[in-house]
Amino acid sequence: MSKKIILCRCEDVTAEDVERAARTGFSDLEEIKRYTGFGTGPCQGKECLRGIAAAVARLTGKSESEIRPFTSRPPLVPTEIKFFAGTPRR
Amino acid sequence: MRNLPAALERGRPVTIDFEGQSIATFEGEPVAVALFATGTRVLGRSPKYHRPRGLFCLDGHCGSCLLRVDGRPNVRSCMVPAREGLRCERQNAFPDAELDLLQAADWLFPKGMDHHRLMTGSRLGNELFVKLVRQMGGSGTLPDRPPSETPVVRNESVDVCVVGAGPAGLAAATAVAEARPGMRVVLIDEQDHTGGSLLAEPGGVELASARAAAAVRAGVRLWSCATAIAFYPEDGQDSVVADGPPGLLAVVTAQGLVRLAARRFLYATGSYDQNLPFPDNDRPGIISARACGRLVFRWGIRPAPRVIVVGDGTADTAFLARLYAGLDERGIAVQTVTLDQAQSGVGARGAVIAVATRPAPASELLRQHGAELRLDVAKGGFAPPVGPTFESTVAGVFAVGDVTGFRGTEIAYSDGRLAGVALAATL
Ligand code: FES
Repeated sequence: MSKKIILCRCEDVTAEDVERAARTGFSDLEEIKRYTGFGTGPCQGKECLRGIAAAVARLTGKSESEIRPFTSRPPLVPTEIKFFAGTPRR
Repeated sequence: MRNLPAALERGRPVTIDFEGQSIATFEGEPVAVALFATGTRVLGRSPKYHRPRGLFCLDGHCGSCLLRVDGRPNVRSCMVPAREGLRCERQNAFPDAELDLLQAADWLFPKGMDHHRLMTGSRLGNELFVKLVRQMGGSGTLPDRPPSETPVVRNESVDVCVVGAGPAGLAAATAVAEARPGMRVVLIDEQDHTGGSLLAEPGGVELASARAAAAVRAGVRLWSCATAIAFYPEDGQDSVVADGPPGLLAVVTAQGLVRLAARRFLYATGSYDQNLPFPDNDRPGIISARACGRLVFRWGIRPAPRVIVVGDGTADTAFLARLYAGLDERGIAVQTVTLDQAQSGVGARGAVIAVATRPAPASELLRQHGAELRLDVAKGGFAPPVGPTFESTVAGVFAVGDVTGFRGTEIAYSDGRLAGVALAATL
């Protein structure tokens, strides 16, 4: 294994990836999510959002109150699509 | 490794099939625990660099323990109780997860793979590269066969829905039911045993059982193995709830999907274990401090003769004191390492490393309700501001315990009672 600091294990996003995203000019978690893919895997950000938010605050000089979370989308955990199959149509 | 007493009597001995190999375990023990206890650390490979991965949180949250179980891909193996004949396999590896040749990707890109800039010089090169990456990436392959039946979907309306049966949720649900006898109060929890973070502490299972019994005596309906997967604020105009927040909570249970409407929602969803940034912090054998507690105290597994704890000084000191005392009592040595020291590498082959840092509020459902969240890294992450009544910025939606910023099991319990009383006063 080559040495890497993994900030988002689901999508293999490293500390360097987040630094690169910030250098490229992204400073908002929603943008950084789309650029690096963090928070889009099976955990949906449960294990990485805080760490990456803290890194973004450090890298961009933003205060905590300026940093907003990305939109949380269902489902929160890996869920078989069969559970939705019986829901009523609108 | 299973030479410690488990918190509950172990189930009957069963055998599960792991890639053709028979693994002896006990009915009800999670598959991830059974594999760990019999020496399997690598549960799969990561999606991009094919780095080996193993369990981390042992609480259903980190997504690091996915296996193919009985022909279904991407199942969290820490949430699957073992039963006779269960089949499981690792994913995303060639020829197998121990010796994955695709891990070449990790060596080829020591500085990481920037897919925005890689092979963008030529159109053809880029197309080929994208194809290759798509082939190599992703997680799992399609199920062996479609599900034999479609799960039932039903609607249910209650007065109060409490999500999370940890110390805060147990106390809050009990307090509501005591203050408003006859009202329909449900307490839902994803795990097969109530207790939440208590399950990571010595004696936590017993304490949780006693508190759950008190909740049921007070009239609370307890749904275990029930996962709140989403809140849909735009749904459920058809449901009949007098003065509740608009929308439906989707809850997955063994029987099917429940579309739950409630007059009040109280989120006691607790907090998620977090990792710390140090080189190769994702190696198998690096687990959260609470996962270490769950292994030892709940499941009776001795993870290693010695546990190395990497901490950044923000973990709950009361929890760590109980963890260390419990480990010491069971003859497991503890060595502590600071995050700075961990930068130059930590641990040896086979060692278990427990990461101790402040967990992060499990606040997504509040986000989905539209409640305001604020980042406070010292409190663990994004938490809803709540006043003395524990109500969030959305009327009828309450939050208590670690989800409001880390509190620890004792304050979560006492706050849970206060929140239950405050919520009941609005009914
Ligand atoms: S989700 Fe299973 S170990 Fe974290």
